[in-house]
Amino acid sequence: MTTPVRIAQLSCGSEYSGIQKEINDAAAAVNAEVFFPDLTLADIRRSYGEFGLDVRSGDLKLQIARAKALVEGRVDADAVFIATCFRCAEGAIVRNELRRYILHNSQLPVVSYSFTERTTSGTLLTRMEALTTIARRRALLAREVQEGTTLGVDSGSSTTKAVVMKDNEIIGTGWLPTIEVLKSADDAIDIALKEAGIERDAVEAVGTTGYGRFLVGSHIGADLVQEELTTNSKGAVYLADRQRGDSTVIDIGGMDNKAISVSDGIPGTFTMGGICAGASGRFLEMTAKRLGIAITELGPLAMKGLSENVPMNSYCIVFGTQSLVNALATGTSPEDVAAAACHSVAEQVFEQQLQEIDIREPVIMVGGTSLIEGLVYAMGQLLQTEVLVPPHSQYIGAVGSALLASGFIRGE
Amino acid sequence: MNPYVPAFIGTVTKYVFIESPEYTPSDLALRAYEVSEGLMIKETCFGLQVTGSPDEVGRVVTSLRSIDPNHIFVKDRGFPPGDPRRCRANLGGARPGYYGHEFEVSSVIPYVSHGLEVLEGMDEKEFSELEMMPGKPGLRIPDVLDVKRLKELMDAEEL
Amino acid sequence: MKIFLYPATSLILSDLVERWGHEPLSAALPIRERIQTAGFESPPLQITPDDPKRGLRYAAVEVPSGIRGRMALYGPLIEEAEAAVIITDADLAFGCMGCARTNELILYLIREREIPVLDLTYPKNEEEGVVFVGAIRKFLADLNGGGGE
Repeated sequence: MTTPVRIAQLSCGSEYSGIQKEINDAAAAVNAEVFFPDLTLADIRRSYGEFGLDVRSGDLKLQIARAKALVEGRVDADAVFIATCFRCAEGAIVRNELRRYILHNSQLPVVSYSFTERTTSGTLLTRMEALTTIARRRALLAREVQEGTTLGVDSGSSTTKAVVMKDNEIIGTGWLPTIEVLKSADDAIDIALKEAGIERDAVEAVGTTGYGRFLVGSHIGADLVQEELTTNSKGAVYLADRQRGDSTVIDIGGMDNKAISVSDGIPGTFTMGGICAGASGRFLEMTAKRLGIAITELGPLAMKGLSENVPMNSYCIVFGTQSLVNALATGTSPEDVAAAACHSVAEQVFEQQLQEIDIREPVIMVGGTSLIEGLVYAMGQLLQTEVLVPPHSQYIGAVGSALLASGFIRGE
Repeated sequence: MNPYVPAFIGTVTKYVFIESPEYTPSDLALRAYEVSEGLMIKETCFGLQVTGSPDEVGRVVTSLRSIDPNHIFVKDRGFPPGDPRRCRANLGGARPGYYGHEFEVSSVIPYVSHGLEVLEGMDEKEFSELEMMPGKPGLRIPDVLDVKRLKELMDAEEL
Repeated sequence: MKIFLYPATSLILSDLVERWGHEPLSAALPIRERIQTAGFESPPLQITPDDPKRGLRYAAVEVPSGIRGRMALYGPLIEEAEAAVIITDADLAFGCMGCARTNELILYLIREREIPVLDLTYPKNEEEGVVFVGAIRKFLADLNGGGGE
């Protein structure tokens, strides 16, 4: 067993929400341990004063002092986990400012999270896994070129994607809705191998990612089982040819959304989650269904409409759909309704998730929803920037897996 | 979810802090061992932790206080001594409550001890004549100069 | 009498209240109760996700879970309290007393009880030390119907 990754916890309220054990368990599951940076009272008084954010809560003062101790190198850590109660304004301000402060003043990977009493270790696992990967596997993440013949499988909540790569080229892809996790994976792999024109035996290394990564990984004997924050970051900068410098990767998925601030191909800060289905690809699927069109037609249709023509009263998937139905009933065009649906999803992700990370240009959108051009356009409007959608963007996790898996061919 | 099986059910644990110019935590421990009958005594850098039945702990604490009443301070603790959940070595850093103690012990207790000494010198009648300050926190205290402080001042003059 | 302390973690208040014959309602009591009760493992404080739910008695569901969890500790103490001693400048209180919003709610609920309350600030010199200790002793003595120790 390798040495556990040491994650410094900067938090307020986790013990009183009854979820500290969930944090500890999520860390332990990825061979990490959380600890609280040790300070003296004098440290707290001085550091909190120097930082200059005049908060009232003692535990937030402590959080600030602990962050300063990490940045100034008085306490060693491999990564940082910042957490405060969901719906606490004072906590949210501290959480965001500390995330920014640590990111700008140290090399420590950071993840921030707002919890409730319902937060479980399962929810935290992917974040902890990404955090430890960044801390532990910098060498693996440094890979920029795919070598040999590798297979990447992304077993997502809505769809399963498989990609075969050879000598830095994508030579086969497979895409299927996720029905039975293992069967969908097997079938997607078969499609990709067939397109590539190679046999399974010719594959030298395999990587899996996505919700079903552990199950599929053990089923097909994967060399690398990796959460999607890491694989999507790598896949995005690889496909967009932005492996050096800063970028932001946005993936609006079927069940949750990811926003990752990337530097030289390595995730720095990220958020993951989706408060509700109204901010996911599902809402767009429902809109397409209501409009009687295929999801592939929604994007082009939205580009012809004006979102402002539809009053959206709610981000909720139920009430949001109701607004769209009402608009159609009063004679609003399907184009405007499609545009409004795209704008609603983009705005919700913008308001609820992109505020948690530093937006660094270029912004790269990936995942199946990045093919809905109306959504990409709406996101670009909100961010006031041109959004890049790389080729094969719907296969991003699988490509990232195949790319990283090639590190295992020679046993790196 | 793992089941939780508590230990030390029905016991109480008290912190006994000593901030005295004359006695050390070891003196306190020595006394505690003398008077305790089967209680758990844990010596720490600030004093002691005493664990046992509420009555026994109460009796021992009363006895310990009498060593130096104005410089010994007692408080309940939720955990038994040495509990790994609160241990600095396991947490990586001090538990948050530690800093609150650090603040009171280092910045406030010396003044409280002084207050206790002054009040100790008052008789019942003097004390009952003291009045709360209207509209202000605290008590109206006449200009009393306690004997000990007077002696300190005189000693300082002589230097 | 049962005296609520603010900050509930204060060594000084706990000591002085007990020293003069009253029962300090400190943060240690509800923590001890949890540490000594069987259930599901939830270190470090044995506060479980059920506590924020119990806290709904004192704060609405949109109030952060950390506040409701803390109120599950303090709410019953406040209800039980017959008097309170409050330090109004307890800025360096952490952990159980580390959330300012919880503390605001605690202070409000104490005032609402209309029980005898003594407000004080931490003494910053020897003279204030005398005033501080004297005021607490007097307050506690008056609760007993006057007199000294």
